Amino acid sequence: MISVQNLTKSFGDIRALDNLTFHAPDGQITGLLGPNGAGKTTCLRTIYGLQKADSGQALIDTVDALLDPLAARQLIGIFPDKFGLYERLTAQEQIAFFAELHGLQGAARNQAVTAVIERLGMTELAHRRSAGFSQGQRMKVALAQAIVHQPKHLILDEPSRGLDVMSTRILRDLLRELRAQGTCILFSSHVMQEVAALCDRVVVVAKGKVAAEGSPDELCAMTGESALEEAFVKIIGTDEGIAA
Amino acid sequence: MSSAILTVWRKELRDAVRDRRSVLAAMSYAFFGPVLMAVAFFFLVSQMTDDSDVKIDMQGTEHAPALVNFLAAAGIQQRDEPWPNGRQPIALEFPADWDAAIAAGEPARVVFNADFSNQQQRAEISRVTQALQNYSQQITQVRLLARGLHPQLMQPIDVVRQDSATKGSRAALLLGSVLVFILLSVFWSGMNVAIDISAGERERNSLEFLLSQPLSSTELVAGKTLTAASFAMFGAFLSLVIIPFVFAYVPLERIGISVDLAWQTLALMAVMLVPLALFATALQLFVSFRAKSFKEAQTYISFLLMVPMLASFGIEFARIKHQALYYLPLTGQHQAFLDMIKGEPLNVVAALASAVITLLCSGLLMLGIARMLRSEKVVFGL
Repeated sequence: MISVQNLTKSFGDIRALDNLTFHAPDGQITGLLGPNGAGKTTCLRTIYGLQKADSGQALIDTVDALLDPLAARQLIGIFPDKFGLYERLTAQEQIAFFAELHGLQGAARNQAVTAVIERLGMTELAHRRSAGFSQGQRMKVALAQAIVHQPKHLILDEPSRGLDVMSTRILRDLLRELRAQGTCILFSSHVMQEVAALCDRVVVVAKGKVAAEGSPDELCAMTGESALEEAFVKIIGTDEGIAA
Repeated sequence: MSSAILTVWRKELRDAVRDRRSVLAAMSYAFFGPVLMAVAFFFLVSQMTDDSDVKIDMQGTEHAPALVNFLAAAGIQQRDEPWPNGRQPIALEFPADWDAAIAAGEPARVVFNADFSNQQQRAEISRVTQALQNYSQQITQVRLLARGLHPQLMQPIDVVRQDSATKGSRAALLLGSVLVFILLSVFWSGMNVAIDISAGERERNSLEFLLSQPLSSTELVAGKTLTAASFAMFGAFLSLVIIPFVFAYVPLERIGISVDLAWQTLALMAVMLVPLALFATALQLFVSFRAKSFKEAQTYISFLLMVPMLASFGIEFARIKHQALYYLPLTGQHQAFLDMIKGEPLNVVAALASAVITLLCSGLLMLGIARMLRSEKVVFGL
C-alpha cells in the first residue's frame, strides 16, 4: 500500500504538488492521470525519495522514503521516467546487476533473473548487448529490472510511451498478472485508453492537486459523461468538474 | 566492504572493459608515452656522444701531411660530399709555408673557419679544436725535450675535476620528466572511465534509476571511484612495467647516467600510486558528475588535468623545495619518487603521511559527491 498525504512541493514560484493526498491499495492498479506538467513525475519521485517534499509525507507500507530511503526502495520496483540502458552489457547482465543491488546473490540471483527473462518472453534477447535494442525491447529490459526482485509495490512513470501494440499488450498482461498476485501498482499516464483499460482506481491530478478520485466508472458517473475522456476534460477543464 | 560497493565495482568494470575508447585511452598513454620519451632520449644521447668521423673541408693538406695524419687518427677526415642544408661548412686551411714555420719554430698559421655559435655543430667544432690543441701540445713537448727542458714546466697547475653530481643524481635530472609522466598516468588513464560512469550515466538517462535503487549514494560513489581508480592503476602499472624495458634500449650509460629502476623500486612506486589514483578519480568524478553530458565533462576535466600537470612540472623544473610538499597529495608522491630514484633513503614517515592525507582527501571528495547525488538540484539539474 502506498499512501501519499498532503504532499506539497514548490520549485520557486511554481507549485508542483499542492496538498496532494491519495492511496494506492495492494492488489489494485492505481492510475495517476493528469496532463503534462500536472506533477505526476514529481509525485512519484517523492514516493521513492529522489525528491523531497516541502511538507507532507509519502509512505510505502509504513516506511517513509524521506526518512529511510533504502528501506523504502527495498519494497518497490521502479519503472522510471527515463530508462537508459547500459549498452555494453547484455540484457541478462543488466537485470542481474539490479537484482544484486536488491540483495540477491549467487543462485538466488540467477534464478530470479532467469525467471523474469522467461516471464517477459525475452530469452533470445538475454545474451545480446542492448546497444541495438528497439524501444519495445528496451522497455522489456527496464520492466525486468523493475520486477526482478519481486517487489510488493510497483511504480511506473508513463510506462507505455513509445510502445507498439504488442509491447503495450505485454505490459498490460504483466501488470494484470502482478495485480492478481497482490502487488500494489501505481502508474502515471496521460493516455486515457490505457487508464480506462487497466486501472481499478484513477486519481486525476491537475496543478499538483487531486482533482477527482475513483474507478473509471465512478468518474464517468460523477461527471455525467459516458467516456472517460470526456469526464477527464470536464474534471480538469472546469471548476465545476472539480467541485463535482 | 559492503556487497553493494562490490556489485557496482564489478558491473562498472565489466562495462568499462568493454568500452574500447576507455581501454585504449588507458593503454595508449602507458604505451606511447615511454616510447616517445625513449626516442627523445635516444636522440639526445646519440647527439651527445657522436664518435663517428667528423668530415670537414681541408685545403692545403699537401703542406701539412703530419697534421693531416694526426687529425685522421682523431677521426677528422677530408669531406667529399656537400654540406647538408642548414649546416655551415667547417673548414681548415693550411698555408704553403707551414713546413717552414714549423721548422723555424715560429707559430704556423692554420685558418679554422666555422659558425662557432651553431649549437648543432658544437660537438664537431669542439672535436676539431681539441685535436688541434693536442697536436700543438705534442709539438711543444717535443720542442721542450729537444732543448733539454722537462715538458711539465708548461703545466704549472694541475686542475683535478671532481664532478659532485653522482650518477644517480644526474639521472634524477633526466628522470624527473619520467617521474612526472608516471605521476600523471593515474590522472590520464582513468579519465575516460570517470567521465563515462558519471556524466555518461546522466547522458544515457540511467542515473535516475540507479539512484532509486536500495544502495546509499556513498556506496554508489565508492564503487564508481574504485572502478575508475582501477583503470588509473592499470595505466600506471603498464607505464611502470614498460618504462624499464624501453629504457634498456637507450644507451644512457654513455652519457654517464645510470637508470637503475629495480623492480622493488617500481613495486613500491605502484603501491604509492594507489592513494593518488583514488584521489585523481574522485576529483574527476566530482567535476564530471556536475556535467550534463560527456562532452561537457571532457571540457571540465581537461582543465582539471592542467592542475596536476602544472603542479608537477612546476615543482620539477623550478626545483621548489619545501617541507609541506612531502605531505600533500601528488607532491608527496612526487618528492618520495624523486628521493627513490636519486638513491636517497625514503622518508618513510612523510610517505606514509602523504598516503594517509591523500586517502583522506579522496574520502572527503567521495563524501562530497555522495552528498551531491542526494541533492535533487544536481541530479535533475533543476
